[in-house]
This record gives sequence, C-alpha cells and structure tokens, in this order.
Amino acid sequence: MALLETQGLTKEFGGLTALNNVDMAVEAGELVSLIGPNGAGKSTLINTITGQLSPTRGDVYYDGTDLVGMKPFEIAQLGVGRSFQTASILPELTVRENIQVASFAAEHGSFRINFLRRRDSFEEVQAQTDDILETIGLDSEADSDARSLPYGDKRRLEVAIGLATDPDLLFMDEPTAGMSPAETEMTVNLIGDLLTDWGMTIFLVEHDMDIVFDVSDRIFTLHQGELIARGTPEEIRDHPAVREAYLGGGEEA
Amino acid sequence: MSIDTIRNSVNGDSTLVSWETWNRIKHTERFVFLSSVLFVLLFSYTFGRAPVISGIFRGYHGLAMTILIWSIFALGFNLLLGQTGLLSFGHAMFFGTASYAAALFAIHVYNEPLVVVLVGTLAAVALGVVSALILLRLHTVYFSIVALAIAQLLYFLAREPLVEITKGINGLDIPRVALLGIIDLEHEYSGLVGTLLVNNLYIFIGVFFVAVVALITRIRKSPYGLIFKSIRENEKRTAFVGLDVWRYKFAAFILSAAIVGLAGGLMAVNTQFAGVERLYWSVSGDIVVMTVLGGLGTLAGPVIGTFVFFYFKGIVNGFPALGNYWLLLLSLSFTAVVWIYPDGIWGMLTDFTVALRDPKELVAKTKQRLANLLPSGGER
Repeated sequence: MALLETQGLTKEFGGLTALNNVDMAVEAGELVSLIGPNGAGKSTLINTITGQLSPTRGDVYYDGTDLVGMKPFEIAQLGVGRSFQTASILPELTVRENIQVASFAAEHGSFRINFLRRRDSFEEVQAQTDDILETIGLDSEADSDARSLPYGDKRRLEVAIGLATDPDLLFMDEPTAGMSPAETEMTVNLIGDLLTDWGMTIFLVEHDMDIVFDVSDRIFTLHQGELIARGTPEEIRDHPAVREAYLGGGEEA
Repeated sequence: MSIDTIRNSVNGDSTLVSWETWNRIKHTERFVFLSSVLFVLLFSYTFGRAPVISGIFRGYHGLAMTILIWSIFALGFNLLLGQTGLLSFGHAMFFGTASYAAALFAIHVYNEPLVVVLVGTLAAVALGVVSALILLRLHTVYFSIVALAIAQLLYFLAREPLVEITKGINGLDIPRVALLGIIDLEHEYSGLVGTLLVNNLYIFIGVFFVAVVALITRIRKSPYGLIFKSIRENEKRTAFVGLDVWRYKFAAFILSAAIVGLAGGLMAVNTQFAGVERLYWSVSGDIVVMTVLGGLGTLAGPVIGTFVFFYFKGIVNGFPALGNYWLLLLSLSFTAVVWIYPDGIWGMLTDFTVALRDPKELVAKTKQRLANLLPSGGER
C-alpha cells in the first residue's frame, strides 16, 4: 500500500478549479517531485494534503489514515513534515530554539503539561536538536538570532525545522530557491542523505529542472490543476504533454 | 553551575567577574529569585523611608504595597502579551472579578486572607476558561476588542443588575482578620525588620510577589516559554511542526488569568475593599501602558513600568502646579520612551549597560536610532 495517496482530490476557489481530480500515490522510501508551470496548483496541492486547505472533494490517505478534516498539527504528528517555500522561521528566537520547538513537538506530541519543568532537563530533545544542527551544518550559528542569518542559511534553517519534526514523509517546497550554488549542492546532498540514512520519503517541489531530473525516482507534472504526466525522469523528459505545458521548451531552468 | 561560577570568579585573572560569567549568572533561576527577594526587602524602605533617596521619590509604604500588587498584575498580563503575543484589552475582568470573589467569600463564607486570595485566583481561572473559549476563536484586533467587550459587560453587570450582590458603586468592605487565625497583618515591627518591611501585610504581599516571579521564571525556562514565543513569532509554523497552538494559547491565557486573579485577590485583602472600578476599561488600559512602558516580554520590565506609572499617578500627581498634568506627563514620557526604545525602559537600561562595556557600540546604536526616527521617504 502506498504511503500517501490522493483520490479525486479537487479544490475549487469560487469558480476557479485549482486542483481537478488529482489521483496520485507515493510509495515509502521514494523521492517524488512535483513540477509544473507557475499557477499549476503545486502549492495548493501541498496545502490541501498538509491540512492548510480543505479539499472541495476527494480524499487523502496517509498510511491508511484519512487526512481530510484533520488539522495541520494533527497531520504533522502523524509524521508528515513540511518545509516552506519562503523561510517560515521564528525570527526573534535563536537558531537552536527554532529547531528545539520542532523537537519538542516530535518528542512530546502536540500538547503536554510541563510548564514547571525546565526545558534543558529534556535530554532527548537537546540531543535531537544538536543532531539536526550538525546535520544541517548550522551548529556554528546555533546561538545567533534566526533573523540575523543570511538568506541561504534561513532557507537551511527552514529545512532543519522540517527535519526536526522527525517526519516519515517530508514535503519540501522549493528548498533551493535563492541558494548559492554551493548551498544548493549541499541541499541536494542532504536530500540524498535523508533518503538513504534517515529512511525518509520525500515529496519535492522544485523549479530547478537539473535537480529534479537528477534526484527524483518519479516525477508528477501538474498543469492547470490536473496531473498531465507521471513517470520516471526519462519518461517525463520526453513527454509531449509536459513539453506542451512548458510552452514548447523542454527545460525551464 | 554554581560551583563553576564561583571557580570562575576566584580563578579569573582580573578582579572583576567577566561579563560572560555575569551574563550566565543573571539568567539563572537562583539569581532571579534572590534579586526579587532583595527587591522586596529594599523596595518599601528605599521608596518610602531611606534618607535622601526617599526624599527624591517622596514615596510611602502604602504605595509600595500597591505597586507590588500591580506588578503581579503586569507580570501576569505580560505572560500573555509579551510572551505569547496576545493583546487583551480586557484584563480588568480578571482583576475585578477576583477582587469581588475574594470579598464575597470573605463576607459570606469564610474570612481568612490566604483562603480569600486563593478563592479570588480560582474565580479568575474559572472566568479565564469561559472567556478563552470565546476569545481564542478570534485573532488580532478582534481578540483585543472582544476581550474589552467582555470586561465592560462584567463592569455594567456589577454596577447595576447585580447591585444586590456587589453593592454597586459603593463596593464591598472586608473586615481585617488575622492570617491563619494568628498573624496580625497590621502588626508593625520595630528594629531592622520594621525599618525595611514595616508590617506583616507587606511581607504577605512580598511573598506572593517573589512566588509569582519564581513561577514566571520557571515557565519561561520550561518548554512552554519556548512554545509561547514560537506562537508569538509565527503561529502557522508552530502548528505545522505539530504543536496544538490552541491548547498552548489556552494554557497561556489561563496562567495569565490566574496570576492577574492573584493580584485582584491581594488587592481586596490589602485595601479591605472590592469595587466596580477594578472592572473598568481604564484598568485594562493602564496595565497595557505599564507593561509596554517597562518592556514587553521581560521580567523586570512590567515591574519597572508599574513603578513609573504609579510614580506619576501617586507622586507627580501631588506636585504643586505640575500635579494636575500628571497624566499628560506620563503620556509624554510613554511616547518618548516607546518611540525611541520599542523595548521600553528595560530595553533602554539594557542598551545603556551594553554601551558601558563598549562605548563605540553606543555611538553606533544612537546614530541608528536617530536615523530610524526620521521618516524614510514614504516607505509606508
């Protein structure tokens, strides 16, 4: 059984159909990418799956659980993590605290009454936070305020927060946007590590076609709210509908 | 930690404790606790009776007790606004309701100061649960305004329809009884204790003040402290890492209501009175002014803000000629401070101490502040 499955997923905004009958399945351990021109509905699809929007029709199953009607924090607690397209960080907190918040959510669930216990006494949370800081390479910046980080580091912190929720399935919304080539390479390597060492399943939305074709196991192509093509990178590269969607250009990078 | 600290200061190559060590110490719970004890021990004396200083302040013991109680109020309010980012314009509801509950319990059921304060606190918690269910559905300005509406509703209820219970604008008088049946709160000490603390009532209030400071310090150092700030900074992100934002806001609201309720109960015991004016909207406004003036989100800020507010209200008010304009003077000070230092008086003091260590930074920061004050070419 697929880890994530959507059936007839439809989202309408007034008269506009942003998603039309999307059926797709993501298997555990694979990396799938979602591509499509601007306005294709990529963000709407992620938002609908992760609970930010509720679908007009259709179902979303994660590991057999119907996600429709669940709140974002409940979906996150099931093991669906998310990193946002724009760095959605906690600017006034330190880098370490940014990650700690997510670690508490991962270790202690959505709510716990522990306001009389010092947080530095939660060793497993501290250990996980240190682990993530090292993985993402932000340990030297751990005690800086998040808002003072350069843009590329903010994006890395964004990914780090997503990781710290300890997800089984991670949605990454354009993780390399605005990164330098070196940072992009680091992120691509990180994605590889997440798949092999952490055993994660990754759902990637990315504009950089080189990355997409390089790392993906399978690619979904969304155009005007409909899935027009799906398949391996080779199949997608030569798919006529995909070329059509990108206005005749085979690549957008 | 404490052994390390001592070793550092003993082995340190200079006679001064290094700034780094100081930065570490000043955030420890023990330091905060001892500071608050020291503050209570010295506050009334410095403010009201010490030679020279008290002559400048022109303070008096009764006002010192009022300031301690309102500081508890401001600390409770700050937990919601400063930590969690929820601006309530109706916190008078907890202060006033707790006062009434304390007085009614004392008059009709059982009169003992500790029990009465506890009853006031519990009443505020009960009101907190009910109002949170309404208010936490709302965001931003709607949250603030509906909080104000609920508080005003209670004010008018207490004033007219419930006049049989509340005695309306006359209020309720509470007879003074001994604490735990044996300790006379009005007993005045002689000697050093008398010089510093004067009477048992001050000690009674001071113990609660220290307890609240300790509680809030602990909350700030607990997971809640972090998660409250996370909600303030980015509510959506906090939800997407898997935290139940609603429940944490609810917890912040109830903790805040409880602390403000404690202040309301203490106020009833202190003044032997509960009246409708404690529910009035201006009380909710005053607490916003005190907290923001002193410094949002900090521990010392609300206490300093409360002090400055009551200094104007209680002391400047009595100055010849100027006294009539105390509210205007307060407003001007408020505007000036918050304009230049959005982090309030505490932020200003912190800036100065940092500057003392590094004068260059002071020059740079002052320049930047002045630059910020000038309109920057139609940015908005």
